[in-house]
Amino acid sequence: MFKEIFLFELRYRLRRPATYFYALLLFILTAFIFLYGGGADKVNADSPFYLAMQLGALSIFAIMVASAILGVPVYRDIEHNTKAYYFTYPISERDYLLGRYFGSLLILVLVGLALPLGAALGSALAPVFNLGDNAERYEGFRFMKYALPYISMILPNFFFAGTLFFSLVALTRNIFVNYAGGILLFIAYILALTLTKDLDNKNLVQLLDPFGLTAVQEQFKYLTPPEKNVFLGYFSGKLLINRAIWCGIAVALLLFTLFRFDFQRFISVKLSKKALKAAAAEAIADAASNSKPFVIQKEQNAKPLPSVSKVFSSNFYLKSMLSLSGLEFRNILKDTYFIVMLLAGGLFLFIDGFYASSTYGVSDLPMTYNMLEVQDFNFFFFVLIIIVFYTGEVVHRDKSVNYSNIADALPVPNWMIYGSKFLSLIYVVFLIGALVIASGMLNQIIKGYFNFELPLYLKGLVVPTTKRILMVMLAFFVHILVNNKFTGHIINVGFWIVQSGIQQFAQIDYNLFFFGNTPQYRISDMNQMGHFWAAQGSFLTYWLALGAILMLVGNLLWNRGTEETWRQRWALAKERFTKLSGATMAVLVAIFIGSGAWTYYNVSVVNKHLTSDRTREISVGYEKEYRKYLNVAQPKITDVRIDVALFPSNRRVDVTGFFVMVNKSGQPIDSLHLNIASPIDFNDITKILINGQVPQKIHNDTIHKYFIYRLPKTLMPNDTMRVEMAMRAEYRGFPNEGIGRELVYNGTFFDLNVFPRMGYSVQAELQSEKYRKKYGLDIREFDSPLRTDSLGLKTLLFNDDGDFVHFEGTVSTEADQIAVLPGYLQKEWTTTEGGVARRHFQYKQDNVMDLFYNVVSARYAIKRDTVTQADGKPLVIEIFHHPKHTYNLDRFTEGVKDAVAYCSKNYSPYQYRQLRILEFPRYAGFAQSFPNTVPYAESFGWVADFSDPDKTDYAYYVTAHEVAHQWWGHQITPSFTRGANQISESMAEYSALMVLKNKYGVDVMQNFLKYALNQYLQGRGFESKSEETLLDNERGSYIWYQKGSMVLYALQDYIGEEKLNTAFKAFAQKFALKETPPFATSEDWYGFIKTATPDSLKYFVEDCFEKVTLYENRIKKAEYTDIGNGQTKVKLVVDVKKLYYDKKGNQIGEGRSKDLIDIGIFTEDGKNSKGMKQKMPLYLQKHWLTRGEHTLEFTVKGKPVKAGIDPYNKLIDRIADDNVINVEKM
Amino acid sequence: MQLTISNLSKTYANGVQALKDVNLTINQGMFGLLGPNGAGKSSLMRTIASLQEADTGAIQMGNINVLKEKDAVRRVLGYLPQEFGVYPKVSAEMMLNHIATLKGIANAKERQTVVELLLEKVNLTHVKSKNLGTYSGGMKQRFGIAQALIGNPQLIIVDEPTAGLDPTERNRFHNLLSEIGENTIVILSTHIVEDVTNLCSDMAIINKGEVVATGNPNDLVADLNGKIWQKTIEKSELPAYEGAFHVIAKQLKMGKTEINVFAEHQPAEGFKMAEANLEHVYFAKIAERSMAV
Repeated sequence: MFKEIFLFELRYRLRRPATYFYALLLFILTAFIFLYGGGADKVNADSPFYLAMQLGALSIFAIMVASAILGVPVYRDIEHNTKAYYFTYPISERDYLLGRYFGSLLILVLVGLALPLGAALGSALAPVFNLGDNAERYEGFRFMKYALPYISMILPNFFFAGTLFFSLVALTRNIFVNYAGGILLFIAYILALTLTKDLDNKNLVQLLDPFGLTAVQEQFKYLTPPEKNVFLGYFSGKLLINRAIWCGIAVALLLFTLFRFDFQRFISVKLSKKALKAAAAEAIADAASNSKPFVIQKEQNAKPLPSVSKVFSSNFYLKSMLSLSGLEFRNILKDTYFIVMLLAGGLFLFIDGFYASSTYGVSDLPMTYNMLEVQDFNFFFFVLIIIVFYTGEVVHRDKSVNYSNIADALPVPNWMIYGSKFLSLIYVVFLIGALVIASGMLNQIIKGYFNFELPLYLKGLVVPTTKRILMVMLAFFVHILVNNKFTGHIINVGFWIVQSGIQQFAQIDYNLFFFGNTPQYRISDMNQMGHFWAAQGSFLTYWLALGAILMLVGNLLWNRGTEETWRQRWALAKERFTKLSGATMAVLVAIFIGSGAWTYYNVSVVNKHLTSDRTREISVGYEKEYRKYLNVAQPKITDVRIDVALFPSNRRVDVTGFFVMVNKSGQPIDSLHLNIASPIDFNDITKILINGQVPQKIHNDTIHKYFIYRLPKTLMPNDTMRVEMAMRAEYRGFPNEGIGRELVYNGTFFDLNVFPRMGYSVQAELQSEKYRKKYGLDIREFDSPLRTDSLGLKTLLFNDDGDFVHFEGTVSTEADQIAVLPGYLQKEWTTTEGGVARRHFQYKQDNVMDLFYNVVSARYAIKRDTVTQADGKPLVIEIFHHPKHTYNLDRFTEGVKDAVAYCSKNYSPYQYRQLRILEFPRYAGFAQSFPNTVPYAESFGWVADFSDPDKTDYAYYVTAHEVAHQWWGHQITPSFTRGANQISESMAEYSALMVLKNKYGVDVMQNFLKYALNQYLQGRGFESKSEETLLDNERGSYIWYQKGSMVLYALQDYIGEEKLNTAFKAFAQKFALKETPPFATSEDWYGFIKTATPDSLKYFVEDCFEKVTLYENRIKKAEYTDIGNGQTKVKLVVDVKKLYYDKKGNQIGEGRSKDLIDIGIFTEDGKNSKGMKQKMPLYLQKHWLTRGEHTLEFTVKGKPVKAGIDPYNKLIDRIADDNVINVEKM
Repeated sequence: MQLTISNLSKTYANGVQALKDVNLTINQGMFGLLGPNGAGKSSLMRTIASLQEADTGAIQMGNINVLKEKDAVRRVLGYLPQEFGVYPKVSAEMMLNHIATLKGIANAKERQTVVELLLEKVNLTHVKSKNLGTYSGGMKQRFGIAQALIGNPQLIIVDEPTAGLDPTERNRFHNLLSEIGENTIVILSTHIVEDVTNLCSDMAIINKGEVVATGNPNDLVADLNGKIWQKTIEKSELPAYEGAFHVIAKQLKMGKTEINVFAEHQPAEGFKMAEANLEHVYFAKIAERSMAV
């Protein structure tokens, strides 16, 4: 019988239009995605990597199809009530189940082919249509590229998900578990993603993720772009295990279902025990009442129905609407699956909140904004599914339970029923909001954080809740319009997917085009909701008006009665279109147009919204027009005085600068090139005087903001001039996107770019090679000149407008704020202007500094410490912080103190008497070092939870890094030559690492280096140009931070910290505060390093600095035998491999010389004095090892537990995990 | 008050003509609508109950234009559809209370009295707090009757109301209806002739969308008196008889076939006159129409 049931299932499926619809949908979607193309600059859009990732991700989306196909084959007999007789046929449960299962599974598997086929078609056509400007990034068809994702991702995912859905329905007889099952799968996946944030969970997560996407990602993670383009060996290792696990679970599930399933249970009426009891009681009661002799009972029933008074007023309808909405809401609440989904969503929120915002594996405290923000990401999918499905339930409930036959004839107006249904969904939306608060507060309680900010929770829910209401409105409208539950679901979910797809792939970001979109905003402790209400309000009014229009149209088209043809519905709608609805419609349309116009005026007229294309065109125009001025001779600033008037509440600043400039160029200068590159949207020169005269503007380009002024008098070499420039910078209205973090109500922070820069700026050029080619720009390997370039050597890397300068200034702000400039506070006073008090500060830097300054203003509390430095000079440490952020202040202070001590001891004396750390709102996530002044983002350690001693104290570490920049960057100023960036960043990293090591001990390093290694390897995996060496790199942050820190850490380990520091001291002495060129190059730096390196290790510094070198060391075997006296003999088999890469990421050779590498044998981990996990070596020595396998034998005291090669991951090793294994007893 | 249906026609999107130029006048009291499955009874009732549009024609009840003033109709309507559902997770009492509210009974006390009384009348009092999802078919039908009677409806439309009821409950329902029917227009659709005979003072027979007969059941029966002839024949003879006579009904009786023939005079030997009943009227009218087609 199996064969017949199987074939019937197949035939049935093949005759269903839905089957083809699913396949076509997947096919078109995939083709569309590959037609646009993704990947990265150097990673092909049809590379094995991108195909595996994208088809894997699409297979998750296609789970909906798996649920639609494999959820119903058994349910069909329930739905159409064929179960009543079908099972009386002579068939066995096994044949029935397996026939239905395999028939549908075969169809599903065939439908799945649409994904690789769509990808192949899209990739084949992409170069023809060239929609994504990617034509060159398609390699062409290779069968295995498409077959592998199908076999490794799509098939197992479909098999697992399909079996799950099939079994759930067969066992529970309820189609709704399909949705719930889908949600649970999705939660598992999202959880897996959340957990990957912590590197320690990496291996576990690869197995837990039911879709295998994290495992496939890991397979490619550390491959370079050219490797990603060819690698086909990914269906192995963890991915293979993952697939085996989940397919195994599916097989087990299927077997269980086969075992459990029987026809009798399947068709029996499903009643709870309570219901059974009730039914029994009812039967008795019925019998009793029926046993009464029955006579014609006019008399018996004579009690006539009382006449009642009836009210039909709008007021009454309104009241009824409320009570009816309660009934609807109860109907939703009584649905078990709703509760399941809601709880699942809550669980998800909770877990996401639990791990929210982690840096270096350290979570933040459960701040209210963190708890609020978790709702903005993947939680969206829960909300979407809950809203769409339950809108469908509510809209169609009366019809689907057939109650509409009664309800539709009741004497109530449409709007009342309609309104009550809509209201019940609004309650659902509020419930979701309550869930966010509940999960947030629960997290806060569990983590012992008792600062409950209910008002902030409510404020933070306004926009998400409104967006959810909009989603309800749309879902409601669609469900009414299509008048079919399932189609309604598909169209609704499809709408949101297509809408986000268009934004992503077609690069359109104009929020007025996308239903429910508002600009991004962010809540900060310092600035709360800040300036974001205006934009949110305007956009939301616009969308709510549209939503209300949809609701009104929906009301007109509301299905009441049995008429379902469009002709009749249209006729009814016309009938229902009363004067009142006409007037309402007119008002709504007016609001819609009005708010739309207001929004448009703000984003496109006041703020000129630019499309991505237009932005690129402007960059291109800039380069084409002005590149000729790259080396135009300009004077250098030597003295700066600024007067800053801040108006935080107006998000405005007026600033006047008085500059002394000297012609150091050696040639006459007749014009001043000014180029405004401010991040502040409106930033203009309001006044300019050169030597007291108004100069003639001879070039005025307001698009590229490039202006040329003729000097009143040609500036001869070494001559001096005075320039006075007044600027106004502000934000007006609101833009389509952009936080505008520079000028805010509380927490203003901007830098010297409020003034124009002189001459052409390379930074403003278009970077992406893909677009450079498109616009006919040449591809340049480097922006900066050679290390021998004379102009480069006399120009500073971070600012070519001046060398070392004298700086002073005043700044005024609102009375309750403190404003800060670099330099020492001279004076503070208040004034009253027009009845408003203002606070003024005067700062002066009494020695020279590099030309790099900033302005900060906020309502601060200040923590002050004065310490005496080793040379007896005092150091004032000031932490300007948000009054409530007192959690980690000591870590900042300590960081400053220790870093200043370390750097002045090992490099050169500290050039200032103070160092200030200033918190700014979490609109950006960095800290930046200005002379003796370090603005430091709110989210970067101020509220981190450092209670786990095994986690990196990054507040301390980052502080040390920024302080080290006072030397590396501000004292030793790199020149504008190739590779000079490392002098600033790698050296700051190195210094911070040493400070960290000295405080926390060597055991803290491995956790840190693990992150560094991961980021380095990932960084090179997505390199969009070329991976340069430490000597040449000028763009790759993963090189100057991560590679730099790893290399310098290993170097001090190999040659000794002190010895290396002597070299750095000599380097610092040569270049510290050097006011005249030539300035430092990476060659200078490297030269000092080489002098400190013994000959035996020359190979090592060459590998590290001059080449791209990666180790692939691993330990293959570790065994021990007891030899008595507590001693053991340990045998290790290690494999040594060192690979060289070219800058494109191709492997070009293997190291053949001897390498010095740690070999370690460890007993159980211990804890150090700080409570931190500590490795306990029984043996740890460096060995000279050649390429290939080595067997090493040791005798150690104590019980060996683990052993490995390079066990502390000091070397850059592509697979760091296989360096240490457990030691087995022989 | 009178309900007047004039020239009502309706064709569905699939081409089926459900109502063809229907004209009826319905007075207060019980009005029976008799017809075979698919005759258009439910279509007609849905149209009166404001749930369906008509292509042409008009329905007037007192001064209410039924097709246009849907809300006015609904305020005086009690409707029990042939098929209906309930919210499975709500109790009967709560649901009736809710419907009473929707029917405009704003006073909670009044509502409670009405609901309780109705529950009693349909014999559901003992299960009133059970969820409707646990009700048996008969109980659900009784619930349906109760909801239709809420709010003193002036126009009661009941579509196959006794389907699924056991004889006791059917009786109880008939009593309930006749009790109410005196000052109210009650339209009762059924394909059970006996129901109409027992209850209705006025009726119409409808077939294939057309009204084929109207009038007082007794008058209609009287018209047929002396025109119904009966004979018992062998089954094999049937085709011959059908060819020769106007056979309006045939029935197996102990292995033989009993046929009823409509004729002004004795059609042939062996036929004996039978006493006419409403069933004969029904079969005669329907058979007439079928032959005409």
